[in-house]
Amino acid sequence: MSAGRAIYWEEEQALIVADLHVGKSAHFRKSGIAVPANIVQEDLFVLQQLITRYHPQQIIVVGDMFHSSANNDVQYFKLWRQQFPHIRFELIIGNHDILRPAHYADLQINLYPSLDLRNIHFVHDAADKASLPPDHYIFSGHIHPGVRMVGLGRQRLQLPCFYFGEEAAVLPAFSRFTGLFSLDPEPSSVVFVIAGTRVLKV
Amino acid sequence: MKETRGWQAVAQWLADKGLQPFAFQEEAWEHYLKGRSGLVNAPTGFGKTFSLFLGVVIRWMNEQPDYRKRSGNGLKLLWVTPLRALAKDIGRAMEEALRELQVPWKVGIRSGDTSLSVREQQKRQMPEILIITPESIHILFAQKEYPLRFAGLHTVVIDEWHELIGSKRGVMVELALSRLRGMHPHLQTWGISATIGNLEEALEVLTGTTSRESVIVRADVQKKIAVHCVLPDEIEKYPWAGHMGLRLLHKVLPVVQASNTTLLFTNTRGQSEIWYQQILKAEPELAGAIALHHGSIDAELRIWVEEALHTGVLKLVVCTSSLDLGVDFRPVDTVIQVGSPKGVARFLQRAGRSGHRPDAVSNIWFLPTHSLELVEAAALKDAMAEGLIESRMPVVLAYDVLLQYLMTLGVSDGFHAEEIWEEVTKTFCYKDLTPEEWQWMLAFLTTGGEALHSYDEFRKLHLVGDHYHCVSRQQAMRHRLHIGTIVSEAMLKVRFMSGGYVGVIEEYFISRLSPGDVFSLGGQQLEFVMIKDMTVIVRRSKSKKSIVPSWAGGRMPLSANLGKMLRRKFHEAMAGTAQEEEIIVLQPLFELQQLLSHIPQENELLIEQIQTDDGFHLFVYPFEGRLVHEVMAALLAWRISQRHPITFSIAMNDYGFELLSDQPIPVDDTNVQELFSTENLTIDLQSSVNATEMARRKFRDIAVIAGLIFQGYPGKSKANKHLQSSASLLFNVFHDYDPQNILLRQAFNEAFFYQMEEARLRETMERIYNNRIVITFPQRLTPFCFPIKVDSLREQLTSEKLEDRIKKMILER
Repeated sequence: MSAGRAIYWEEEQALIVADLHVGKSAHFRKSGIAVPANIVQEDLFVLQQLITRYHPQQIIVVGDMFHSSANNDVQYFKLWRQQFPHIRFELIIGNHDILRPAHYADLQINLYPSLDLRNIHFVHDAADKASLPPDHYIFSGHIHPGVRMVGLGRQRLQLPCFYFGEEAAVLPAFSRFTGLFSLDPEPSSVVFVIAGTRVLKV
Repeated sequence: MKETRGWQAVAQWLADKGLQPFAFQEEAWEHYLKGRSGLVNAPTGFGKTFSLFLGVVIRWMNEQPDYRKRSGNGLKLLWVTPLRALAKDIGRAMEEALRELQVPWKVGIRSGDTSLSVREQQKRQMPEILIITPESIHILFAQKEYPLRFAGLHTVVIDEWHELIGSKRGVMVELALSRLRGMHPHLQTWGISATIGNLEEALEVLTGTTSRESVIVRADVQKKIAVHCVLPDEIEKYPWAGHMGLRLLHKVLPVVQASNTTLLFTNTRGQSEIWYQQILKAEPELAGAIALHHGSIDAELRIWVEEALHTGVLKLVVCTSSLDLGVDFRPVDTVIQVGSPKGVARFLQRAGRSGHRPDAVSNIWFLPTHSLELVEAAALKDAMAEGLIESRMPVVLAYDVLLQYLMTLGVSDGFHAEEIWEEVTKTFCYKDLTPEEWQWMLAFLTTGGEALHSYDEFRKLHLVGDHYHCVSRQQAMRHRLHIGTIVSEAMLKVRFMSGGYVGVIEEYFISRLSPGDVFSLGGQQLEFVMIKDMTVIVRRSKSKKSIVPSWAGGRMPLSANLGKMLRRKFHEAMAGTAQEEEIIVLQPLFELQQLLSHIPQENELLIEQIQTDDGFHLFVYPFEGRLVHEVMAALLAWRISQRHPITFSIAMNDYGFELLSDQPIPVDDTNVQELFSTENLTIDLQSSVNATEMARRKFRDIAVIAGLIFQGYPGKSKANKHLQSSASLLFNVFHDYDPQNILLRQAFNEAFFYQMEEARLRETMERIYNNRIVITFPQRLTPFCFPIKVDSLREQLTSEKLEDRIKKMILER
């Protein structure tokens, strides 16, 4: 688990991320909302650092890789993608992934409604478990999970987290241009929060 | 002047009714007829409308010998009102006068409620008088060929200017006036204002830096106000903290019974809901004669309540600031204020809602919600006696409103940068706008604020020569729907399952409910069923228990004037020299305070250190008002945190503030004084993390006004899902990726200038530095600290590493 908001799976040499939302800032700017234009570069730079650190064979994106319809951030991604022709991009389709199939082919991204590797079932929204094979554990994204922490002296914090529940794990949203949804952890769950450059079990 | 045809006709018309113009009305007519601009200072109910409206009529009669035959003359007078509800009554009064004076003018109304057919009709033929809201002027500006609509306009009157001047709606008025003056250089501008501390400045804001002659006309009519206080019988048993005041309900009922009609003002909508229910419970026979009025209640119901107030069928209306403004309800003879009104001007305004005949006395009862608030009652009386009315500080350099305005001009006919620069920099708000800032804003709208990257697809305004224009129809439409500066919480409609509209409610509140939960709205018990199509579906419930929505807006700060008076009263009370009954009643409480801790003298500052299950508390009592306390608390917390790593949660009220930590707070006699040093004050202030948090809160409104947050189309909230983002998220990305952004700077400026009041803070710090500081260690909570301690809305400040903090915390499950 990395504070870069990704999980590296050694046996499969797979880097697992969720909710990249590539193209979100360009989509906003195209509609006349002047958010900073360089967010996509920063996000992809973080992904690049993770790649050079772990040397994955494949990157599994559990949904919402692209934010909306095609725009120039997507073109930027295409250029960026060319640095890593040997890495497979496996995208589990999320509710935001509405590009045309030809686009994904062009970007060399493989599409899956859900994906099973060993005993892990990858799906964008953990609530969609219709296709869940028995004895499988879910890895998902979608909700941009966060948790609230409390301490003595009425201290409070809200932090992005990796969430491991009874049946399913939820990954934090990878993009910095995403909000947080505070979930109520089940009693049996295991939660790791992202504290700056470290991941801490709480 | 008095010999002119128009003046004679108007004087005769009044004489026929057995009336005579007030002196200030004649004065205003005279100045107006001489071509001047100005401000009329008059309370409601004394003919302020006629002081200007009749002036315009006289002028027309003088200029047009055949005025009786001339109709369809085009727009002459624009009458700007802050409240849609006021438009109809003013229009009715004007129409009646015009008919009797045989002037065939039309009076039109233009607001968000104006129907499409009326708008179309106005497009073909403008009425001579148009009553309009500030937002609606800008909406007219956003339409193609808008200058045609204003052809022939010669006078603009801004009604209730005191309500607008301190807000961004006031800036919208300034910008509208700048454009109208650009089109009509001889435009006369008049304002009508209740008394505020800075009338001269209010006039200056209205007229801008134009060199036109302008005057203030004062109506010297004094209203008699009697202030009473609802006193608890046994102060020892009255709560030390709280904001409801329900314990005194039994003392309110006789007041209501003895009055004709009573308005009971609360500070929040939540409070009004609870009061309404509790009164009905205590006095069931009032059912039918009691009503509830606040901003979340269905507009139709509110109008019904207002009508019923006019006719006098209601005995009592529980309301919020929603009834602060508006036409006079003659039957109202008593006003009750629950909790601190937070300012002298608001208290006076509310008092003035009763006793509306010019010679009648306004009766207002102050009901304290906790013991120490009694001191405030005494302070209010003194402040009123000394005429300490608050100023309304005009907003300056509101970049967000200017961006919205430029876009407004862009979506209609487009604009020439040079021309608009000239107009805008003549306003009070933007007189200090620099050319660099202006260029930044134009760039923000054309290239999105960045050096144009080859791949960037930003588009909003197109630039041809020096002409800026919006070509996207979709963006133009979206912009027209977003004109305005009132930013509200995301609201959802509430409907019965069987059909029938109840009102609106904050999305934030509903998001915390589960189906089956019961809440109250509009005085009804409602069971939450589900949310469907952005509407909350409910059914009636018989449950006794219900959750009352906590609406935002209950945390208004005390005004500086009232704060000063409050401090004086506290010192009088503590020194035992006060004569007022409110304060004498409080003596047992002060004795307990002295027993447990200490009562500070005028030249002393009290600090209490107490340990409880929550942790280690440090209470400080400067009596300077919430705003100053918020900043001072952050500053102290920051200075202490520089000594060693520590985390604080901070709470404050109008009397003092609290720093709470999980570890002992290292403050004692040896090091306390330097905490109040004014050395490095500015630098320390900026470093205190809180500035960022304050700016973040300010940024929400700014982002919406500047068009960065798309709130969706009315009724079609599902579309454009991919454009949703929160202000807090935007604040983060700007902060990290575009720190030079002017809107970000505006957020910090607003936090510093409106919130921090650095000058006032510095003065206070100096006073404290030279005072004697008394530190006590009470064994239990004191009457002073209790109201602060129970406040759950808290800020945080830390110098500890995030990791170290997390290690000490637990997950909230």
